[in-house]
Amino acid sequence: MAWRKKTKKIPVGDGWWREGEKPLSEDRTIRPFVVETSEEMIQDLYQRIGQTRFTESLEDGRFHYGFNSAYLKKVAKYWRHEFDWEKQVRVLNKYPHFKTNIEGLDVHFIHVKPVQRTGQKVLPLMMVHGWPGSFYEFYRILPLLTETEGDFVFEVICPSIPGYGYSEAPRKQGFSSLDAARIFHKLMDRLHFTDYYIQGGDWGSLITCNMAQMKPEYIRGMHLNMINARAGSTMTIVCLLVGRYLPFLVGFTREDVCRIYPYMQKNVYELLRESGYMHIQATKPDTAGCGLNDSPVGLAAYILEKFSTWTDFKNRDLEDGGLERKFSLDDLLTNVMIYWTTGSIIPSMRFYKENLGSSSNFYKRLDNVTKIYVPTGLAAFPHELVHCPRVWARSRFTDIRSYTYMPRGGHFAAFEEPALLSQDLMQFVKKVESKRPK
Amino acid sequence: MAWRKKTKKIPVGDGWWREGEKPLSEDRTIRPFVVETSEEMIQDLYQRIGQTRFTESLEDGRFHYGFNSAYLKKVAKYWRHEFDWEKQVRVLNKYPHFKTNIEGLDVHFIHVKPVQRAGQKVLPLMMVHGWPGSFYEFYKILPLLTETEGDFVFEVICPSIPGYGYSEAPHTQGFTCLDAARIFHKLMDRLDFSDYYVQGGDWGAFITCSMALMKPECIRGLHLNMVNAKAGGALSIISLLVGRYLPFLVGFTREDVCRIYPFMQKNVYKILRESGYMHIQATKPDTAGCGLNNSPVGLAAYILEKFSTWTDYKNRDLEDGGLERKFSLDDLLTNIMIYWTTGSIIPSMRFYKENMGANFQKTMDNTTKIHVPTGLAAFPHELLHCPRVWARSRFTDIRSYTYMPRGGHFAAFEEPVLLAQDLLQFVKKVESKRPK
Repeated sequence: MAWRKKTKKIPVGDGWWREGEKPLSEDRTIRPFVVETSEEMIQDLYQRIGQTRFTESLEDGRFHYGFNSAYLKKVAKYWRHEFDWEKQVRVLNKYPHFKTNIEGLDVHFIHVKPVQRTGQKVLPLMMVHGWPGSFYEFYRILPLLTETEGDFVFEVICPSIPGYGYSEAPRKQGFSSLDAARIFHKLMDRLHFTDYYIQGGDWGSLITCNMAQMKPEYIRGMHLNMINARAGSTMTIVCLLVGRYLPFLVGFTREDVCRIYPYMQKNVYELLRESGYMHIQATKPDTAGCGLNDSPVGLAAYILEKFSTWTDFKNRDLEDGGLERKFSLDDLLTNVMIYWTTGSIIPSMRFYKENLGSSSNFYKRLDNVTKIYVPTGLAAFPHELVHCPRVWARSRFTDIRSYTYMPRGGHFAAFEEPALLSQDLMQFVKKVESKRPK
Repeated sequence: MAWRKKTKKIPVGDGWWREGEKPLSEDRTIRPFVVETSEEMIQDLYQRIGQTRFTESLEDGRFHYGFNSAYLKKVAKYWRHEFDWEKQVRVLNKYPHFKTNIEGLDVHFIHVKPVQRAGQKVLPLMMVHGWPGSFYEFYKILPLLTETEGDFVFEVICPSIPGYGYSEAPHTQGFTCLDAARIFHKLMDRLDFSDYYVQGGDWGAFITCSMALMKPECIRGLHLNMVNAKAGGALSIISLLVGRYLPFLVGFTREDVCRIYPFMQKNVYKILRESGYMHIQATKPDTAGCGLNNSPVGLAAYILEKFSTWTDYKNRDLEDGGLERKFSLDDLLTNIMIYWTTGSIIPSMRFYKENMGANFQKTMDNTTKIHVPTGLAAFPHELLHCPRVWARSRFTDIRSYTYMPRGGHFAAFEEPVLLAQDLLQFVKKVESKRPK
């Protein structure tokens, strides 16, 4: 096929993430894994919640200084007296979990086989989470993808990024999204998949892009709910200046204009206001996460602040951060418990430094200057942190089959709007499948 | 005096930092205060240290990812088994402490009277700390200032910024450097001082500069170990471009060149690498501090990382962050205990957001000129170097500008002798020029 000759790939590379040398033979076994809990763990959690020292918020502070103390007390109280971790562990275990050792790390994943109707084609799909999320974010969308009405149904793999939750953390420096991408390719290979769809947001978006850049021949299609593509800087600035008044000239749609302007307010200022966590995690992750690993309520405040603000910036004006409008406390706390019980907050933060914090410029990294050639579907959610117009996306993704302005939803798309996301994913896959040679 | 007519002042303003209305009458009493501790507090601390869940550092991580876990375990072990808080409380209490209510807040300070020799003049001096420090940073320099050989000796006031340590935290939004400056003027007034020296670094530098702008007639002299001045934007850039090759043309000295270039590497990249804490504290202080208020070891890691890196950037290459080369663990942990026992980490962080918010051009003003006699001590490992020529664009009456031979951001704590010497020679210059 002609396009394959033009397809540029990034090197796959290799890695070994424990101390010492890589052994000669590789352990390729896939072991079933069950999420467990213990009375000891729960009592320790309760004792720590009970000894939380809260600091009263400023008068009318709401969520403008971070997580509001009055609401945090309510969350802590619920966590201590109503949240049933043993029940949630049963929920987590409703899908089969596994671990397998890749590049020296135990990589965790769930593997959900579909309910296949007669005549339906089974398509493999890997869905990758981000920070501060986990594989658990996909539990609401999984039923919609593994049991469908149409011509195809998905067999879904949701791994945990090394360093997050039940996946072992690297012991060596330098573990970036490129390494995660390669490891996830190896995982699919170990599961005997040679041709699969991938879906992601947040770090999952970056990792799946890297997967598409490394081994495009394995990627049947890639769907993203967070789009990271930038036009070259001069063009971006010109676009922005002209685009406000003559949007059609630079390829912006009316919806783009709505979502981008006023640019300074919406994008630059908002980004500055909301990227403190990124800055400290990309430079001092071990310091930033240390206290959080001892204080469950501190960890909850840090993580849940994102579920509030990244779902809708206006949540900062609310006393309770609007958290329970879109999410249940049980779901939110289950995600927090994954970080808490595995003590993985520091390794999860290190991922920022390994990707963003090196002295070489992230934007000059090879994957950021390499285009993507696989069939791509983009879902632009209105409250995502940054809006990427289709015209900018086109400069990076050369084969966009679907670009949708989603009607509602924010950063945690699968968690917040599972029906919308699954619908968009399925219409994208339908388009891709219909164009494939039989 | 002719210069007074040109002196621009900033408005003094006023404030009330509790909920509700300001009452008609003000409580101006000054109450003695004693730092106390209890068995309960110590047991709670020990229990929390004992339940710390450490995360192993990456191979050869040193201090490049933040505080190294292996060394943190050593610090925690010392804290739990050797650090004697009751003894340190006696050390804290060796100077008399007080509290007085200003603008609705209990403001804490120590008041150290000098040992006055015959013929010596007593000069009042206020020294203001920063973040993540406290009044305790001045304990090593106080003996050198309150007992001297020369013509004068100091009577020293070291307050705690509202929200820090034993000073009450504001309950309402908007408390900035300007408010702290006005409150400290009121404090000096309440102590019947009308004319005093001020000294500061970090937030203390911003506050004392604001004090000099608000009421220059009360400021006998201003001494800073962190200099905050920028030439106007275009001028800075030209200065930097030309200054590398033709330093004399833009007024840079050889020492300036050494300390500033290569600019990108040294300054911009360095600032980015070290300013994550500032970014998160200026935007989400309540979130950033929440876990720290519950984990003493987490709090120690967060604070001590600064005492390591801001003393010398090269400390990041060391397994132990070089902390104990310049500081004793007892001193470092005493400072942390002040944050821990008062639960003031979140209010201390809020100060960043309040100052760097919408009005930051006013609150962090570094262009309005300062006309009081000024002494500047430029320490080589301070976070940013400010050449004298840039400083001159802001400070119109610099009596002393010294390239200090060694030392970093926590000057009083790390190099008390050097700082005391520089302060004394500056004051000597100022005093000798004053009309008798």
